[in-house]
Amino acid sequence: MIQKKICMVGAFAVGKTTLVTRFVQSIFSDKYLTTVGVKIDKKSIALGDRDVNLILWDLAGDDSFNKVRMSYLRGASGYLLVVDGTRPITLDTAIGLQKSVDEFFGKGLPFVLLLNKTDLTNEWKLEEETIGALLEKRWIMMKTCAKTGEGVEEAFLTLTRIMLGG
Amino acid sequence: MSDPHTPNNSKGLPKDDTPDDQLAEIRSLIIGPNQAQLGKLQERLDNPELFARDISRVLPEAVILRSSQDKKLATALMSTIEEVVRSSIKKDRGTLVGALFPVMGPAIRKAVTETFTKMLQSLNQALEKSLSLDGLKWRLEAIRTGKTFAEVVLLHSLVYRVEQVFLIHKETGLLLQHVAGEEVAFRDADMISGMLTAIQDFVRDSFGMQKSEDEIETIQIGELTIWVTQGPELILPAAIRGTAPEELKLVFQEALENIHLEQSDTLESFDGDTAPFETSRHYLKICLQAQYKTKKQKLSPFLWILLGAIIIALGSWGFCSARNHLRWANYLKKINSERGVIVTDAGKRDGKYFISGLRDPLATDPMAVLPDSKFDSENVISHWEPYYALHPEFIIARAKIILNPPETVRLELINNVLHATGSASHQWIAEAYKIARVIPGIAQFHEKNLIDTDISHLTTIKNWIENQRLRFAVNSINPVPGQNDTLRTLAKEIRKLQALTQFLDKRFYIKIIGHTDQSGSEKKNLALSQERANFVASVLIIEGLKGINYKAVGVGSSESLCEEMAEKHREFNRGVSFNIILTDRPTTKGD
Repeated sequence: MIQKKICMVGAFAVGKTTLVTRFVQSIFSDKYLTTVGVKIDKKSIALGDRDVNLILWDLAGDDSFNKVRMSYLRGASGYLLVVDGTRPITLDTAIGLQKSVDEFFGKGLPFVLLLNKTDLTNEWKLEEETIGALLEKRWIMMKTCAKTGEGVEEAFLTLTRIMLGG
Repeated sequence: MSDPHTPNNSKGLPKDDTPDDQLAEIRSLIIGPNQAQLGKLQERLDNPELFARDISRVLPEAVILRSSQDKKLATALMSTIEEVVRSSIKKDRGTLVGALFPVMGPAIRKAVTETFTKMLQSLNQALEKSLSLDGLKWRLEAIRTGKTFAEVVLLHSLVYRVEQVFLIHKETGLLLQHVAGEEVAFRDADMISGMLTAIQDFVRDSFGMQKSEDEIETIQIGELTIWVTQGPELILPAAIRGTAPEELKLVFQEALENIHLEQSDTLESFDGDTAPFETSRHYLKICLQAQYKTKKQKLSPFLWILLGAIIIALGSWGFCSARNHLRWANYLKKINSERGVIVTDAGKRDGKYFISGLRDPLATDPMAVLPDSKFDSENVISHWEPYYALHPEFIIARAKIILNPPETVRLELINNVLHATGSASHQWIAEAYKIARVIPGIAQFHEKNLIDTDISHLTTIKNWIENQRLRFAVNSINPVPGQNDTLRTLAKEIRKLQALTQFLDKRFYIKIIGHTDQSGSEKKNLALSQERANFVASVLIIEGLKGINYKAVGVGSSESLCEEMAEKHREFNRGVSFNIILTDRPTTKGD
């Protein structure tokens, strides 16, 4: 059995928790997020003939990582960087966060950028330029929807594939 | 080198050659063949690399050689090694700690064990002293919560149980292995491991603990304690219910050290694959096995109280039993000494005393004297058959009940003869005489010394009548006036006499005797006296004395009542007197 620690990272209220709620096993309540600042869930993935247990650290949303939150990232094999498609500022935060994480680890940690809230695509305000720049940097981006669950499974699979393959 | 040769050159060498040339010539002559070797030697000395290589060849031997000779080498190296260690720690303490971890533990343990053993002993004593109070407290808790005392003790200090043991990769918080005791309910261990790590990070960061060795060692929640044993790469949290002894930490520590030792390569290249740690599972199981420690239970104070109560109860029962036995014996003795009671059987059956026998109805009631012997009548069953006791006091008592004698009668039994003394009515005497002899124990009734009050009365009346005199005038058949009352009283008394004699079954007749004085002729006197007697008889008949036997006779002066010395004597002789004749047999009426 392969186990991997992954984190959910993103700005406040981008829908990190809601996004995964339906897809993970959970025994802890959401109040852990506001008390301890982190909630642990589990996601089992079958990748080919390999079973992978993703231990998902859902970090309390904040616009900037402080020291406390960085320590939660220690030992992670990858992370899901979540952005609210209707709030461009959250993309900026995500970019900042990604930078901080790389600095913290001293290397590039596998991640997948999730552009959340596809149900509100008509309200999306992300600038094409910014997206294009990220694509140029070979960022892996996926569109997800917390309401329909669209793209979530794929996101987990993609991240796992990167982590194991990388 | 050149200086020492200078004086020689000035004395023994040709003056046209310079001393240096000469010296060179001589040198070439002497060491010419070895010149190349010397050159090489010089080069090896001058070249640090070559020189170092040469020294490295002999250094281990040299160190060994010198170390065996004295301790100068150690002294010389001491400061250097200290500096090396210091630098190493400064650079990355993890390396040294990681390297020393497998050996440090046992070494420290050995040193600590002895101290710890001593400490444990004193701790045990302290615990034992506190046990009594705790014991009492737990019992109260058991009563309050409705749990058994054993459960309460189990949940407190006497028993502990390691319920779960986790082996967690320190950096990632990933669960490598997990074992749980039987019947232990647990939730997803993977997530719990992550959360435990998160909480540790949370606490460390929240309280500004920067150093990596600042780690959570204990988490206490109610009765559950989590001991977190820390290693360089792994942590081993163990969930313990109850109060575990400190030495259990050594068990955890040893397990963790062994896992570190065995898995050092795996840990170095850990990429999330937990399969290799399967082999470490048995170390975790050892941690589960050392769980139950039942402390030798001291005899609890409550048990003492219970035992005491039982002993007191038994003692009381024994005492009561012995006391009852004694009382019963005294009671039987008392009953046996009673007249009129014959005990034929007595004893104890089905927890109750019983007594049976014969009892004269006049004897003391055996049940009535039970309270005197401090016995509850409810605990005694008695059965008595009636019988007549022939003790004199019982015969007399029985006679008194049957005969019901008046107070004037005293009864006495002498040789089965009932003697009655005093006085009683004629009727009582007659009945007593008839009944007495059928009373058990009485052969005869002796009433001779008993005065018949009716007979006495009869005699009194008879005597009174016979003392009466009716006086008459000279030569007259009429009584001297003023004697009517006497006549009436006479008649009344005679009627009494008549009734009494009838009652006494006797017969009587009255002899009415007429008298005269001695004056006159006897013939005339006889006639006169007869007339006087007849007159009185007729008066008495008129007064109502019908049907009585009487005889009126005139005796003239022949039976003078007194000698006639004077007129008053003659007056006395002129009268009528009475004589009562009583007989037991019926008498025929007089002439």
